[in-house]
Amino acid sequence: MRLHIKVFLWFWLGVLVVSGTLIGLTELTHSRAQDDRLWQEKYGPRVDLWARQETHILRTKGSVALEEYVGSFQADPGVLNYMFDATGHEVFDREAPKPVLATVNALAQSSGWTQRVDPVERIIAERAIDANGTPYVVVVDFPEPSVLTRPVFELLSADFSGRPTRASAVRLAAVVGVAGIFCFVLARHIAAPIDRLRSATKKIAREQLETRIDRDVLNRGDELADLGRDFNGMADRIETLVTAQRQLLADVSHALRSPLARLNVALGLARRHSVPGVGEHLDRIELETERLNTLIGQLLTMARVDSGVGLERWGVFDIAALVEEVATDAEYEARARGCTVSVAGERNCLVSGSADLVRGAVENVVRNAMRHTADGTCVDISLERRAAASGPAVVINVRDRGPGVPDKIVQRLFVPFYRGLQTDNNQNGTGLGLAITRRVFEVHGGTATAANADGGGFVVALELPLYVEGGTRQPQAATRPTTEEHGNAITAA
Amino acid sequence: MPATRHLLVVDDDTELCQLLSEYLLPEGYDVESVHSGTEGVERALSGEHALVVLDVMLPDVRGFEVLRQLRARTRMPVLMLTARGNEQDRILGLEMGADDYLPKPFNPRELCARIEAILRRSGIERGAMDIRVPGELIVDDVSINKGSRIVRRRGETIELTTVEFDLLEALLRNAGSAIARDELVRTVLNRPFSPFDRSIDTHVSNLRRKLGPGPDGLDRIKSLRGVGYQYTLRQSSGALEK
Repeated sequence: MRLHIKVFLWFWLGVLVVSGTLIGLTELTHSRAQDDRLWQEKYGPRVDLWARQETHILRTKGSVALEEYVGSFQADPGVLNYMFDATGHEVFDREAPKPVLATVNALAQSSGWTQRVDPVERIIAERAIDANGTPYVVVVDFPEPSVLTRPVFELLSADFSGRPTRASAVRLAAVVGVAGIFCFVLARHIAAPIDRLRSATKKIAREQLETRIDRDVLNRGDELADLGRDFNGMADRIETLVTAQRQLLADVSHALRSPLARLNVALGLARRHSVPGVGEHLDRIELETERLNTLIGQLLTMARVDSGVGLERWGVFDIAALVEEVATDAEYEARARGCTVSVAGERNCLVSGSADLVRGAVENVVRNAMRHTADGTCVDISLERRAAASGPAVVINVRDRGPGVPDKIVQRLFVPFYRGLQTDNNQNGTGLGLAITRRVFEVHGGTATAANADGGGFVVALELPLYVEGGTRQPQAATRPTTEEHGNAITAA
Repeated sequence: MPATRHLLVVDDDTELCQLLSEYLLPEGYDVESVHSGTEGVERALSGEHALVVLDVMLPDVRGFEVLRQLRARTRMPVLMLTARGNEQDRILGLEMGADDYLPKPFNPRELCARIEAILRRSGIERGAMDIRVPGELIVDDVSINKGSRIVRRRGETIELTTVEFDLLEALLRNAGSAIARDELVRTVLNRPFSPFDRSIDTHVSNLRRKLGPGPDGLDRIKSLRGVGYQYTLRQSSGALEK
């Protein structure tokens, strides 16, 4: 459950429980007094009337009739009727409880009063004199009102009519409503800055490095404000580091390529004035320059992928279309050797990532395959969907018809600058192509593996998770030890 | 040998500029070099040069800013030198109206060929203003005027770069049928096709974005995998020439 809702509900519940208890206690003390007054106003005159009737019945019809009358009267639940004569003797010889006797005594001691009321015990004692002048005391003992058994509506109703009224319902709604509004605001006050911190963290992860926590949060003066300030400090640091890294990559790229650019032009000039026999050496220089340039490009790509810098253009694209494009280009290149490229399998496979990087990675593999496949053969590329543990994925298999690779070194092909393959073809590679491919696919949450194919040839399998609507796949942090290696390689260069 | 043409090279690498002017002189180009962006804008606007070779990495302002300032005032040909492998620079440069780009370090022969191609194209363009009867080409709701080089969609003018205009013209002329990618590279960019060079695709996607979706809401320019591109016809049966 969202923090906001959670805090809100708990506070609301708390406030309701506390206010309910308070109202209950108030009712017990305050409202009881009012209740007593109402009770007295209602029953005082009635007891007066009953006392007269009872003495009249006793005198005219005798004690049997009175007992009958009182019996019918006592049908009311909990109401007890006593009658004392002048000697303090109960007419029907019933045992009267102590509070009743106390009230009777109090009445006896007060001269001049005809009625004595004990509101706490709910007892009314009334002097009555029959037609013969015989004095009696009639006592009615009412049941005590129980607060705890009364419904909430009644507790809230000040007029205490005993039934829920509109006013009491409005009062209840007001208490719940006011408590609700108050708690909502409070919960918002606590949860809103946490939401902001969270969205800011997400933005930083998405490389929106200028994201900061704004003044609203920082001016709160509580722990969340401190957290906001710490967050901003962290964001400053990350921004500085990433900017510096980006600048370093740009500078390294510039610094390494400027001499190469000059070398190329100087080479062009040298060719103009070259004497016979020098041309092939110049060709060699040009080839090596080109290799050096490719190597620098790949090292920089590796550094970019590892540091996560340059992954800004993260988007959703169709990997099948991309593979098709790369295949078309590769085929164009390989036509001279009579080779072809076939693409089969799935279409429209949306993946999320950097299309430029993935294109480069796929290109590395396809061009590698074109280089190693025998003249006049076909490189097969197939795409298939697969349900992996972490969700649906697409697998791109690139298979050549070449000599293959000794099994024991297959895995090492992905290690940067691995020099195990002593074939003439190796001279064309920089030793980084497959390593870059693997890193790019790993950054995208996928894998790159290789194996010798059944029936000859070499097959590289590239797997990428398919794009899922609503999913938020981000570049995966480069935490592998390889980061260090390449970072050092770059600075050393 | 054609008359010597003036080129402006904007690059902070003074030694490279020297080597370039030495290399380009026998090819018929007289090179003036400046080493900062502000100077570059100033000199380029003097109108003395046939073409500007502009490096992206400049000490004061980025090459893109120079390009933006130039494009605000002139249509003179601009060739960008970008860092190799930086796709974003390439896309941004072409989007902002650079006529072509070359990743640095480049082969000087390639540079010559590109300069030649751009100048030839812009030469035809300038010649066309005088010689060719300003004709119109209309396909559905899009019309282009080859003389004034104005593109209209439902009467509303669309700003296109030189290359985008030529590309649109080629696509409209063949509206309804596919043109191969390599053919587009040859005819529109005036250079031999090389695989893995995606600049024509960048131009197409920029053009697509500027034109917006067709009357039926679908893309006007269709990519045909492994073949090339096609301008899709909606109502009319082909390009209407006036």
